[in-house]
Amino acid sequence: MEEVISPERPLSTEQSLRERLFPNNEWILLIVLIAECLIFSVTGSNFATSGNAFEITRLAVEIGLLALVMTPIIITGGIDLSVGSMMGLSAVVMGSLWRDGGVSMPVAIAITLFVGLAGGALNAAMITKLKAPPLIVTLGTFSLFRGIAEGLTRGIENYSGFSPTFLSLGQGYVFGFIPTQLFIFVPAIIAVWWWLHRTAFGRSFYAVGFSQEGSRYAGIKVRRRLNFVYCLSGLTAALAAVIYVAHLGQAKSDAGTGYELTAITAVVLGGASIFGGRGTVLGTVLGLFAIVILQNGLRLSGQPAELAGILTGVLLVVTILLDRLSRASVAKPKAASEEEFEVKNWQVGVLSGVIVAAALIVAGSNWLLVRSIKEERGSAAPTAAANTNSPAPGKKSVIAMMPKAKGDPYFISCRKGAEEAAKELGAELLWDGPTDLDPAKQNEVVEAWITRGVDVIAVSVENKEGISTVLRKAKEKGIKVVTWDADAEKDARDFLINQATPQGIGETLMDETARIMGGKGEFAIITASLSAANQNEWIKHIKQRLESKYPEMKLVTIQPSDGDRDRAFQETQNVLKVYPNVKVVMGIAAPAVPGIAEAVKQANRSDVKVTGLSLPNMCKPYIKAGIIDSIVLWNTGDLGFLTVFTANSLANGTFKPGDKSVKAGRLGEIEVVGDEVRLGKPFIFNKENVDQFDF
Amino acid sequence: MNFSRYKREISAAGAFVAILIVLAIVAPSFFSAGNLRDLLINNAPTLLIAVGMTMVILVGEIDISVGSQFAVCSIAAGFLAKTGMPMPVLFLSIFLVGAMMGSLNGVLVGWLRLPSIIVTLAMLVLWRDALRWLTEGAWVQNLPENFQWFGLSQSGGELTIVAITLTIFVAFAWTLRNLVAGRKIYAVGSDAEAARLAGISGPTVVLSVFALMGALTGIAALMNAVRFSEIPGNSGVGLELKAIAAVVVGGAAITGGRGTLVGTLIGVALLGTIGTALTFLGINPFWEKAIQGAIILIALVSDVALGRLEKNGRSNIAGAAA
Repeated sequence: MEEVISPERPLSTEQSLRERLFPNNEWILLIVLIAECLIFSVTGSNFATSGNAFEITRLAVEIGLLALVMTPIIITGGIDLSVGSMMGLSAVVMGSLWRDGGVSMPVAIAITLFVGLAGGALNAAMITKLKAPPLIVTLGTFSLFRGIAEGLTRGIENYSGFSPTFLSLGQGYVFGFIPTQLFIFVPAIIAVWWWLHRTAFGRSFYAVGFSQEGSRYAGIKVRRRLNFVYCLSGLTAALAAVIYVAHLGQAKSDAGTGYELTAITAVVLGGASIFGGRGTVLGTVLGLFAIVILQNGLRLSGQPAELAGILTGVLLVVTILLDRLSRASVAKPKAASEEEFEVKNWQVGVLSGVIVAAALIVAGSNWLLVRSIKEERGSAAPTAAANTNSPAPGKKSVIAMMPKAKGDPYFISCRKGAEEAAKELGAELLWDGPTDLDPAKQNEVVEAWITRGVDVIAVSVENKEGISTVLRKAKEKGIKVVTWDADAEKDARDFLINQATPQGIGETLMDETARIMGGKGEFAIITASLSAANQNEWIKHIKQRLESKYPEMKLVTIQPSDGDRDRAFQETQNVLKVYPNVKVVMGIAAPAVPGIAEAVKQANRSDVKVTGLSLPNMCKPYIKAGIIDSIVLWNTGDLGFLTVFTANSLANGTFKPGDKSVKAGRLGEIEVVGDEVRLGKPFIFNKENVDQFDF
Repeated sequence: MNFSRYKREISAAGAFVAILIVLAIVAPSFFSAGNLRDLLINNAPTLLIAVGMTMVILVGEIDISVGSQFAVCSIAAGFLAKTGMPMPVLFLSIFLVGAMMGSLNGVLVGWLRLPSIIVTLAMLVLWRDALRWLTEGAWVQNLPENFQWFGLSQSGGELTIVAITLTIFVAFAWTLRNLVAGRKIYAVGSDAEAARLAGISGPTVVLSVFALMGALTGIAALMNAVRFSEIPGNSGVGLELKAIAAVVVGGAAITGGRGTLVGTLIGVALLGTIGTALTFLGINPFWEKAIQGAIILIALVSDVALGRLEKNGRSNIAGAAA
């Protein structure tokens, strides 16, 4: 990945103002940023408010800190992929010290920062002492740090219940409107800016990036410089983790998953060269906000969040391409022997041809794909809900509904019912949520909804402690809050739409397993990821039931599938061989169950049965073939349907606390117990009844 | 045979053999025919991607978008199969879909000289989110009868997968070693300028390598998909890191010009066995990620240690013994 780097610009003493302010064409980004702001102030509800501006900055702090320190690393020509994993490790270290170690919070934070520093030092040592490429070293520590975090906590531990003083670091306001963490972030920006751009020490990093050998001859201690940035990076990741924990109110091993890529994207978008020697703090900050504002603005405009990823990708390629072309045109007349950048005519021709062909093929296949999928679904109209203006209050209620993960088949089937209900009621349904496994994303979406102004927020909660703070805030603003599928803290919501309690699910699963096995023998569980909160809760109840009711049964192993069908398949193959006496494999993540069934089928183990929690449609072939004995679930479509009906009744005042039942269209009167709307008991799907369901 | 040339491959193989010995003592059932067959089939897609990744790394570039390309190809395979396309045509189509996505990377990296890590980072996000947007995570179900195992019996299908994978592997390994096309990849990766002066068009080599990477990803996706009767909407997350790790553990230099496909095969075998080995050894799966990270770092350390010994040996023979 070496490249000859041409001198940045002619060595003339006079530089235009533009060149001085934006040495790396950062002005492109500024234009993008202004364009984003203009477009979203028109399309997004309440986008252009000071409250939203502060919320955006709050959400940007953790990734911002990582990006800020990634800048000098990339300037030296290096990279650090381990920062996101370091956040996970730091979070659990801090959580365990504070809760189990009985250490006071300031000391726990100090030790955590030290751990971050140590992790950074490990990277630094491998890079400078062994002269190993940073990409590979940090790829190794990327796995290592996250692995240690998972190993230490067995994936299960979720530290929460932090003191309000600590939480105010991530959730509070100074002077009533400035988010607290800005008092760390803004000084950090200024400090790094000063250090990189105004001190000789900082400038020397550019020299290192241009040529390590050259800077060594010039008397710069290259190794020391590199040690310094990687240690700083580890330290900053730990600091970001502390803020992250205070922001979410929980510390788990999955903190900061994928943050390294966003941080690198921000830095590169900001004009830094991945080969080193180029990059500014201003550029990084602009790049960061270009991404964050895009996400926020799309959300407030009611556009699908996936567009943010697509646009970021395109923006990234376009900016480096423009930068490349402008540089090439400057460099060319200067030196003919300069690294040639000739794009020949025929190449241009082929190039355009390929791009057009690729675009056509992709567009065509996607169009066909979408059409075929839509047909399959019986043309359930997707409501991306492209709204234009803030809704007129009292007329049509706006119901914002959030799944735990948008791509999960379970939630997709809930959405169908929700859309059906919204259509029937004439309500506007906003359906948005995390696309990746990132607990912080749910908070972000709720914040955006509060800013946008909706009538009801309905959330399927991923992290109880973390999201309750924002839900309370929504309640204060007069928005009705309900939870569905999984609950938040009781005082943070008005009602819970309860399809089944974790205890009910756990016990039904255990009872089914016992029924299949005749109450004795060995069984195994394939779960989602090892740190999945819901699954761990169910496992707890499964184990309790096992101990109290089925003394002759034994749970031999629990293996992770990461919610991936193929991984579940592979783990099941292993389990069947290592534990040949297993009679039932229970899958407790929707995509895992078909994977397990396929593995059992391919191993020709007709003596082994499969059960678990999954969707009828994806399991249907296996249920009919007798491999899956039964699956446990409720009618997910009805759950979505009921949630929207309840939310709508709450919004127009026909349903309020204290009522004993709620009317829900085709579902009839639904019982309400206290503050819980009950859908009914978990349902068992088997050979006889599975054909009656389509979800 | 010059063994010192394959030092890195030999040290990776040593680690692999060590694991196998431990397994042979503690859990001999690991070596049952069924388990070895399952390991072979499960790692075939990874191996195909790692073959492509080896060439990408050999020319001094990197591709972190393969996981997303894999997901796109899987869904495309399912969709095309549902149109009733015969298997050989489907195979070719997926090859082309993959090659198309790879060529896009290749054009941007090879001809337009954009840094590969950034281009493929953009594509990683772009393809994944585009797929999510369009399919909303839906699975492709009700595939035609002749899709799973290519319409053959299970063992016939398994045999076909292994045969296709091995054929591709051997063809690429032989080409890389013996044909001009293969040597060009090493030339460009070792010294792009020298290669240019020798009349090799660097950009075209880079473009072809990325196109092949994409095509191999497409085939890998198909080889994976035909083992099942449904296709999930979000597969291949993290596959790029798995492939890169395997290539690096197998001794390729990330800076380009050094590495062999035999090394990659050992790397895939080593990392692909760890997960299963842990289950057989009864070690808690929580530590799997940490162990994988440690293996990558140890490979690096041994790489450097061996490199140092070699240098010392040349300059000071007495020092090598110390």
